[in-house]
Amino acid sequence: MDIQNEPPLNERVKYLLADAIQVPPDLVTPDLAFGDLPQWDSLGHMEVMMRLEDEFGVSINADIIAELISVPEICKYLEAQSHG
Amino acid sequence: MDNKTGRAAREGSTATIKLVPAVAIPGYLTGEIQSKLAYVDESISRAEVSTGEIILHVSLLEPVTAGQPAVLTSERQLELEEKVQRVVVSMAKGAFAPKVQVLEDHLDRPVYYQLDPMQELFARGEISQEATGIYTLGPLLARLIAYFESQFLSLAESFGAAPYRFPTLIPARYLERVSYFHAFPHSLSFVTHLREDLDVIDQFAQQAACDDHGLDTPANSFASVQALLSPAVCYHLYFALADKPLPGGQFVATAVGNCFRYEAINLTSLERLWNFTMREIIFVGPKDFVLENRETARQHMTAVFEKLGLAYRVESANDPFFVGEFRKQAAFQSAFQLKYEIRASLPFKESTLAVGSYNYHQDFFGRNLAISLPDGSPAHTGCVAFGLERIAFAFLAQFGFDPANWPSDFRESVR
Repeated sequence: MDIQNEPPLNERVKYLLADAIQVPPDLVTPDLAFGDLPQWDSLGHMEVMMRLEDEFGVSINADIIAELISVPEICKYLEAQSHG
Repeated sequence: MDNKTGRAAREGSTATIKLVPAVAIPGYLTGEIQSKLAYVDESISRAEVSTGEIILHVSLLEPVTAGQPAVLTSERQLELEEKVQRVVVSMAKGAFAPKVQVLEDHLDRPVYYQLDPMQELFARGEISQEATGIYTLGPLLARLIAYFESQFLSLAESFGAAPYRFPTLIPARYLERVSYFHAFPHSLSFVTHLREDLDVIDQFAQQAACDDHGLDTPANSFASVQALLSPAVCYHLYFALADKPLPGGQFVATAVGNCFRYEAINLTSLERLWNFTMREIIFVGPKDFVLENRETARQHMTAVFEKLGLAYRVESANDPFFVGEFRKQAAFQSAFQLKYEIRASLPFKESTLAVGSYNYHQDFFGRNLAISLPDGSPAHTGCVAFGLERIAFAFLAQFGFDPANWPSDFRESVR
């Protein structure tokens, strides 16, 4: 993929999250957090974690699962991973 | 009989199938997967799971023709293997390693007995088995349980817990509302009754008979299932509080009740009963209220178990979710440290047995059952649960039957 044409990270996270918890992307606000939507429940959260692994190739462990509980936290983690 | 993945050998009326897991099974999942294989097929009488091999012991069908040996056909073997591999892939592929946290470790405390208490309990007439997973308990076990109950009631009293009595049955629509059918379908116990039809009832009364497989009755004699045998105590409280604001914004209750979880071939001795009893202390309120009380309860019980001299450990755990939801739900529970089990030593098998648990459900019940706090947010819930038969069994497994080896105040109380 041409990195120049790749959507910004927050947009990718927005659409990934919407797809994972099966809600319209408009509902994924920049500060959305676990539990804010009924669909972002325990099963929804784990679906998000698995999609992050697949989409971004990052490794998710139990500690990370409990930390990535909002859109900002997810973006922050992915940015750190990409620069790591 | 050989094929790509496994081989079977006939052993009398059983066959053994050995197969290589379709995906590698992490060590932390071998026990979980082994327990789920009990539900794969009615013909599986035993399963052994290691990281690199699965061994199934399969009961063979009676021969169709007298004198002909029972056989495991290749089609049947493939069918079994496919079902087993489905379980393995669903639970092990992409599994998240659990975050094991040990809050207490007192497994090095001295124990005074090395035998399986079941032998002595049977010999003394202290237990009688009515059916698989169903036992009658005699005076010794009843007194042991009464002692532990007094300790748990003292814990409940320290919180000012309101006493409740809950029914043994629970409506199907209640369990549906908290997604229980998705999470734990394998362990459900259904309740029904004869249809309100004079012919059906007369026919049943005339013809009902039991054989080795149970009650031989036409399936259409039974009404649709409206209730089940309750799998847990605290659910009843949450439903009683549903669809309204929580009075006072926080609440503690306690109750003891019969619980039912069908565990197929895993039902063994008093360690794993189909019908068992749990004492629970239940917390409902804001997150901090629930978490602080859960921790206070743990510390209270630490002192109780220390005085008793029980050898045990408290460590993180997960509920026995069924195959489809296991990977996600177990990982979630582990990551958020929602469940800790009190695992008592069983010296006779160099193993441990969960005799209680400290649980936090976040706002799962508050959201799904619309239990609201004064600020309108959903209530958080948690509970401390003790398996009464299991803790009595673990005590006997560690201290034996000679009262001289029992803790002194315990001896006085049980006398």
